Amino acid sequence: MPDVIMPKAGDAMTEGKVVKWYKQPGDSVKKGEPVAEIETDKVNLDLEAEADGKLGVHQAKEGDMVAVGNVLVKILAEGESDDTPAPKAEEPQRRATDKKDSVKHTTGEYHEAIEQKGPRRDRSAPESNVVAMPSEPGERKRSSPLARRMAHEMGVNLESVQGSGPRGRIVAADIKNARTDAPAGRAEAHPTLETKIIPLTAMRRTIAKRLGESTGPIPHFYLTADYDVTNLVSVRQQLIEMTGSKVSLNDFLIRAIALALRHHPNVNASWGDDAITQHGEVHIGVAVTTQDGLITPVIRNADQKSVSAIAAEVRALADKAKNRRLKPDEYQHSTFTISNLGAWGIEEFTAIINPPNAAILAIGTAEARPVVDANRQIVVRDRMKITMSCDHRVIDGANGAEFLKTLRQYVEQPLRLVI
Amino acid sequence: MTEKSYRDAIRDAMMEEMDRDPNVLIMGEDIGVYEGTFRITAGMLKKYGPKRVIDTPIAEAGMAGTAVGMAMLGLRPIVEMMTMNFAIVAADQILNHAAKVRYFSGGQVDVPMVIRGPQGAGVQLSAQHSQSFESFYAHFPGIHVVAPATPADAKGMLKTAIRGKDPVIFLESAALYGMKGEVPDDPDFTVPFGKSRVAREGKDVTIVSYSRMLQLSLIVADKLAEDEGIECEVIDLRSLRPLDMDPVYASVAKTHRAVVVQEQWKPFGAAAEISASITEAMFDELDAPVYRVTGEDVPMPYARNLELLATPHEEHIVRGVKKVMYA
Repeated sequence: MPDVIMPKAGDAMTEGKVVKWYKQPGDSVKKGEPVAEIETDKVNLDLEAEADGKLGVHQAKEGDMVAVGNVLVKILAEGESDDTPAPKAEEPQRRATDKKDSVKHTTGEYHEAIEQKGPRRDRSAPESNVVAMPSEPGERKRSSPLARRMAHEMGVNLESVQGSGPRGRIVAADIKNARTDAPAGRAEAHPTLETKIIPLTAMRRTIAKRLGESTGPIPHFYLTADYDVTNLVSVRQQLIEMTGSKVSLNDFLIRAIALALRHHPNVNASWGDDAITQHGEVHIGVAVTTQDGLITPVIRNADQKSVSAIAAEVRALADKAKNRRLKPDEYQHSTFTISNLGAWGIEEFTAIINPPNAAILAIGTAEARPVVDANRQIVVRDRMKITMSCDHRVIDGANGAEFLKTLRQYVEQPLRLVI
Repeated sequence: MTEKSYRDAIRDAMMEEMDRDPNVLIMGEDIGVYEGTFRITAGMLKKYGPKRVIDTPIAEAGMAGTAVGMAMLGLRPIVEMMTMNFAIVAADQILNHAAKVRYFSGGQVDVPMVIRGPQGAGVQLSAQHSQSFESFYAHFPGIHVVAPATPADAKGMLKTAIRGKDPVIFLESAALYGMKGEVPDDPDFTVPFGKSRVAREGKDVTIVSYSRMLQLSLIVADKLAEDEGIECEVIDLRSLRPLDMDPVYASVAKTHRAVVVQEQWKPFGAAAEISASITEAMFDELDAPVYRVTGEDVPMPYARNLELLATPHEEHIVRGVKKVMYA
């Protein structure tokens, strides 16, 4: 019985591609019926059966290249069986092509020929180390030539650097920043910040638009964390006893929050129509109530001030606020705000974001409560609930949760605040 | 120093050289009685007569071929092409004869001739008359290709071209003819080929250009410095062949970023050559891929609004600078 072969559909044709099988092994076919569609470098053709019969085993898969003259499939007479084994996956039909003939014609074949000179590769195995999307863990990092040279000269490990260029490319500025981040232990404990304008991606824009439609211009969501402040309360007590200084829990919290923000620049941020700004400095607005209403004096660079300095400044600003003597630069341009109703015995509440901040913390009262400890015993601990209101256009749930997790370290291990 | 237009600087260069050397002559279409379509040759027929200021038929191949013969026998012809677009007709004479004679003759015969004329867009001359030819000619060994951006360079480089012993394609920007600038009065003031110059110093980004786009780049550099504090170093290549890349490399070593600005189409253009050279020589200095600012890949439209859209604009250069700065 006649076999269906890859035809020579033009003088220059040496191989063709199987586009589609119309008939499966075992199907009966009639003479003239199309069996498969093939593609040459010029046209697509249907290959027809030259006799009635049953189809044998496909000798090529859809998409395989097959040399001219090679059998694609056998047409079997009644009672005949196809004992030809199906081609193995790792040996596609293309290998049957006579390379010496095909080398001459096109550049594609030329590259094939070049490849032939090297050790043979198993093309069926998936390529490892394929460069795909940026920032996948374990992937090759993109970097500019200058950045690579600088990293080498300055002893910076590229793997540890986050690239700010397109597709995560590490550029010279990133190496410089990595260098200033790295050495001292202090910098290690509290990462340095820089102001970054992050253009809105289409996804970010859509998130913002849809959430805004749902809840108003600033789509809020809320996260509440319950912190163990036993140690913090104790440290504060000791400090007061030792120095006699007036320091509130809130002053400790301001420093804790400011330091935590340095780890999470995406929280110390503002929404804009075209971009999100991550602020290079941490300015904490502290909600203060006055006879006229609410105002938020700002502790500038709170991350760089000691608890006692913060305490003194909060006191001074709150006094000014109550006497309506705050100057605009004393209550404007915060990057983050806190509101503390602990003094009123409020256990927990939600606060409204103070634009253009992307988040606000609502701090409840610290109080002794029975809790279950690590040994599953009921013990009495000082606890405090903090609720974070987030602008969902800027912050996603996980970002906020990570921030609260970092804050927990500072709040529950107050020794960190003196580093 | 005297303030002169680009046009007058070119005329002065030719007349001074015709005064200096009786072998210098000029020929072209409508250059004598009509005094030139762009009035470059005003007054020359009267002064030098029809033997040295020759009105030709509309026959660019004939003009160029005649000039090759004249040059081989010791004259120093200048051929004015009404626009360089018309010189395509003479391409065989220029590329296969003028550029090859010294090589073919084993160095025995020089071809001291200049083919000059306006090129480029910006004056609404439509698709056939607005093209730029620097990469076309600079591809071939055997000819010099120069494209001055200032009146002083126009004068000094044209003198170098006339006094030299090789064929020179002297590309003038039609849009620069009216531009004024200080030009040295010294009749022996010349500007050598193959010496790029730093037209403006800066530390942040290197902008490489020539001819009219150099002027545009300088405007952008001043604007960026004033508005955004970005200091661009602007390099004027002046000649495409020979091409002096050393000042470009020195600048890139300082700025680590480069933008190349050309008026012609992007594919296979001068900017591609310059960009590739920077990458080859300065790979480890680069903090960003070299960016090309070019004209749009279309035949030049006649309509003013479309012509503007099809040629590089200040905004394009600003965008290029910001791109390589990751700003």
